[in-house]
Amino acid sequence: MLVSAVTLGCALLLGQVEAPEEPEPWDLQMALPDASSPQQPSAGQARCLALPPTPAVPSGAWRARCDDAKKQCLVSPANELDSEGHEKDQPLQRVDRCVSNLMPMETVRQYRLVPAIAEAPPGWYRDERGRVLQYNFDLHRRVYVGGAWAPRWLRETDRLDERVRVDFGVDLEWPGDSERLHRMTLLDTELYLGDAASYDVTLLRYDFRSQNDAPLFRVTTFYGRPRRFDIHANLGFWMELLHGEQVRRGDAHGDFLSVATTQVTLDLWHSSDLVSYVRLRTGPAVERDRTNGFFTLVPAAALEGDLTLDRDGFHHVRFGAEAQKVLLAQAVEGRPLRPERLRLRAGYELIVLAINDQPVSVTLDGRGTWRDDVANAPAGWEWSAQAGLRFSLWAPARRSAPASPPGKG
Amino acid sequence: MVALALALLLGTTPGLSCQGRTAAGETFPTCFDPGTGWVLGTGLRVQDDAESLAVRTGFLVRWVRTSGSKADSLWIDSHRLLMTEAWGGEQQGLTFTAYDGLLRRHVEEGSLLVSIGRPRRIPFPFDVALAVRAAHLERRVWEGPGWTLETGRVGLLLDPLRTNTERGWLAVGPAASHALRHAPDGTRNEVSPFTSLLIDAGWETRDGRWALRATGLAGWSFGSDGGAGFRARGEVALEHVLLAVNDAPVVVRLTATGVKSDAGLFRRDEGMLGAGLAVRPFGAR
Repeated sequence: MLVSAVTLGCALLLGQVEAPEEPEPWDLQMALPDASSPQQPSAGQARCLALPPTPAVPSGAWRARCDDAKKQCLVSPANELDSEGHEKDQPLQRVDRCVSNLMPMETVRQYRLVPAIAEAPPGWYRDERGRVLQYNFDLHRRVYVGGAWAPRWLRETDRLDERVRVDFGVDLEWPGDSERLHRMTLLDTELYLGDAASYDVTLLRYDFRSQNDAPLFRVTTFYGRPRRFDIHANLGFWMELLHGEQVRRGDAHGDFLSVATTQVTLDLWHSSDLVSYVRLRTGPAVERDRTNGFFTLVPAAALEGDLTLDRDGFHHVRFGAEAQKVLLAQAVEGRPLRPERLRLRAGYELIVLAINDQPVSVTLDGRGTWRDDVANAPAGWEWSAQAGLRFSLWAPARRSAPASPPGKG
Repeated sequence: MVALALALLLGTTPGLSCQGRTAAGETFPTCFDPGTGWVLGTGLRVQDDAESLAVRTGFLVRWVRTSGSKADSLWIDSHRLLMTEAWGGEQQGLTFTAYDGLLRRHVEEGSLLVSIGRPRRIPFPFDVALAVRAAHLERRVWEGPGWTLETGRVGLLLDPLRTNTERGWLAVGPAASHALRHAPDGTRNEVSPFTSLLIDAGWETRDGRWALRATGLAGWSFGSDGGAGFRARGEVALEHVLLAVNDAPVVVRLTATGVKSDAGLFRRDEGMLGAGLAVRPFGAR
């Protein structure tokens, strides 16, 4: 007791006890990013930072991607900003979750903090306010609904039908193993309203194509020095189930239901990602002539193409020419025993805007059909020019979407 | 000798490269075995001024092996299995041969052993060969109901060429056969008890792109009704490899056939020319 009292007294007298040193206050006023600011990379771990409050970011909540070697962090507000440049309650969307407590404040103070725009997923763009928007669309993965003005001219009778088209359907696409791409369309529906109302509906359409590096045929010649010529052929498969079509020409009409169609495809050209192609397609179909009540066999051959013209999927061109021959039909008065059909089409679809990241596209189509399978209707051509709008749901970014947004290289 | 036999067994020809090479470094065969593969062919036949389209298929197998029991001896065997040819037109018909083979034995120094008295060895300048054919059916729709079936034929042949490769042979000798000619009025047996002469000759280039084969049979056969008759038939076939698809040779084949008193149910005289294309998968050497 005595010893302790003496010790304490001496300490007080000599003033040997020092109070803990308070850290200097950090008066950092972190600047907001602007349009020219760098973008945070997607790689690495995002770190949550608590910086001194500023008038723009009073919460002091920031997120950073840091280069520890350079002792530099690209820093962006953790929340979106309003038009005045003030922090909102809305956290940044489509960013990786940041991890707290990875950097003590003492460590942060040793780093150079650079205002930056938070990262965005491939196919998406983030502005300086932190808002994210999609600029790359995959129209082969969508649920679509649209309408078009679709007049039709019958050449034989010189008749013009005023019609509109309502269309909807579901497009799916997914890559498979070994450089193969699968594509499926469900409920591909076109309803024509107005004069000569009719429909064209397919329950399911599926196809795949692939890139085969091994030649399908190796041809060796022996005249002169033996030489081998490799013939590469990228074969695929195409099928339809339940394709119903109603045809009306004046007072005559025909209802056809193609129960199942299986065809092989030969790609004349396809893009490296297999999305765009020009190909030949041929095979048979079993069809029900619902008007006359019998089944027929319909072999067909087609040349068709589907081209996505730009990186971001805004421009699409589709074209095709298909010939069909109806076999095994029963005799029907007013039409040949083995009718034929020839269908031509060419179309262009352009995304003109996106509403809440759902694209709205303009569709332009030209179609021509020659057929003599409708009893008591003169054989001949019908032509239709169609123009309309289409609204697409889902439509995610393309698989080939670049990680860097436009202008960020 | 052993080295040559091994080379033949391995399907290579000394001094001849049987491999081509692409710019990418991949190799491909440039030599083919006309006696090996699965034949799938089609062609045009002209018979008695009537043209018809024919299809042809069958399996060819050929190998060279050293004799297990005799020294310095090679067996060079060619087998033709399930050879089928059918043709349409006004004179529809079909031939089918279950098996047709030529088994040729080559020796370095042929000899005869004379065992009368002190055994003596006499030079014998021939190889021996055995020609066997089983179940050869001929059906001619245009002749009406009926068919001809050669149940079996065997020829004991000698080959003066005595080549030690499968690329050339000339085998000649007597042959025995039995045949049935079935017509609506009954079935007739015909036997040729080695009273016919059979010839089987062939020549092929080293790379197998050209092949010529000639077969012939002439002699007397005796029917079950007591009658005897002379008949003869011969066929020449020339094959040339035009190109190869996936290493399978595509061959043009020209044939000429002449028959005297042996064609069909009624033992007609006939002449026929043919030209066709065939692909022979597994025919690379």
